Amino acid sequence: MHPSTELRAGYLEEDPLPAAPPAPQRRGRCIVVTSGKGGVGKTTTTANVGVALAAGGARVVLVDADVGLRNLDIVLGLEARVRHHVLDVLEGQAELDDALVSDKRVSGLKLLAASQTREKDDVDTPAFRGLIDQLRERFDYVLIDCPAGIEKGFQNAIAGADEAIIVCTPEVSAVRDADRVVGLLGERVKVTLIVNRLRPALVRRGKMLSVEDVNAILRLPLLGVIADEPGVIVSTNKGEPIALDVASPTGQAYRKIAGRIVGTETSAPEIPREATFFGKLFGGQR
Amino acid sequence: MSARRIVVTSGKGGVGKTTTTANLGAALALRGKRVVLVDADIGLRNLDLVLGLEKRIVFDLVEVVEGRCQLRQALIKDKRFGELLSILPAAQTRDKTAVTENQFATVIDELAELCDYVIIDCPAGIEHGFRNAVAGAREAIVVTTPEVSAIRDADRVIGKLNERGLPIRLIVNRIRPDMVRSGDMLSVEDVCEILSAELLGIVPDDEDVIDTTNRGEPIALKADSRLAAIYEKIARRLEGEIVPFTVLGAPTFLSRLLGRKAG
Repeated sequence: MHPSTELRAGYLEEDPLPAAPPAPQRRGRCIVVTSGKGGVGKTTTTANVGVALAAGGARVVLVDADVGLRNLDIVLGLEARVRHHVLDVLEGQAELDDALVSDKRVSGLKLLAASQTREKDDVDTPAFRGLIDQLRERFDYVLIDCPAGIEKGFQNAIAGADEAIIVCTPEVSAVRDADRVVGLLGERVKVTLIVNRLRPALVRRGKMLSVEDVNAILRLPLLGVIADEPGVIVSTNKGEPIALDVASPTGQAYRKIAGRIVGTETSAPEIPREATFFGKLFGGQR
Repeated sequence: MSARRIVVTSGKGGVGKTTTTANLGAALALRGKRVVLVDADIGLRNLDLVLGLEKRIVFDLVEVVEGRCQLRQALIKDKRFGELLSILPAAQTRDKTAVTENQFATVIDELAELCDYVIIDCPAGIEHGFRNAVAGAREAIVVTTPEVSAIRDADRVIGKLNERGLPIRLIVNRIRPDMVRSGDMLSVEDVCEILSAELLGIVPDDEDVIDTTNRGEPIALKADSRLAAIYEKIARRLEGEIVPFTVLGAPTFLSRLLGRKAG
């Protein structure tokens, strides 16, 4: 895009004195799921929050911004159905509708996959932002799965978002990286926190940071806390997000997180409890 | 004299690159090797934290490249290893484009004159930071966990390393033998078959790693720990010894009851 066009588009969008009355259809919300550090659960969070939002009746599209290292399709079990990806759409090789993959289990949930054989530098940031704007006209929620790091892929992923969910595990290195990312997001973006992979037993024994420890440094509104449990690894490998399992405590936790995003859930996030003796015996939650 | 230059990489983040770098460095230093660990994760450095050296940072990699200090001034000696282990920290408030591939490779070449092993802790992803980290290396260790997404990313990285002709060896990290046995986790054999790379090590998931990492004490220093023995074996394999792989037993019923894992 020519720089002047980009500037003009930006100006129009942020024009404080709109001539026309507000459009009847509200634009969807765009939330980027990010962390700085890799492997803390961004993709798992994106998939599960997406499933939970859609299960609540919202129209949701999940966008994989990890060009070259995509994984959201696997976590959702949709890898065999991906025919076109973000770059195909941006480069006019495919129509947006042909690139959106419908989830098999939850109606209202779509995936826009990343390209696996391309590079993040191939993505034109303003064009990506334009695509996100287009999606916001059609969906209630656009969730963007951000790649690890703070390079070009991160810049692309945050370009169209005005909200961010920071995913952080109770580890010093994850907290440090998350803090750096919060700084980079700046004042423009509304930021909330999910503390992921908490092991209550380790916290009690003083061998893991507590949610309070994490948030003493980050100081963010807490959206939810997710326990570390083997069930998440299993569901991820199987491509069945655990949020589909309403009976599981983790599935419930994701439903509540979705409720807090929508505004229907007013309870404060619960800290996962230690498994009981019997729960441990039968291989339940840690 | 010139050191071996090994990049520790993975594609996916959070699989244990930094932990592996720190522990492998510690294990080599305990065997009397002179080791320099280089944090290539400019902007999101963590190697200093994992080794508990964060308060001692004065200069960093970017300042070396920009000629603001001597290379030796930026190296931090880990006193627990006498003169043997040092780190070259990354800059925290800069970004990866602050250093070019050539500049990075030049620093690694200089370091290679000072020690026996230069081990480079690569950032996640395959962007500029990855290209820098790989530029100075002659060998690669790919770390992966037995998860479909980590393996897919590792496969992509192995393709990129092959293009550069780097010899590759694999560490499969955070194996949970009980989950492998119950069919809920891929086995080491599965992982090696998918990636068709030579195996360097198998490291079980151990909750002590979280704690030691948070406290800045690499577990390789805990002489009585199971993981210290495993990292020592990895170090010996790296030096060319033929060392059989540890057979990971699944936790027994009793150890599960007590919340521990058996070795």
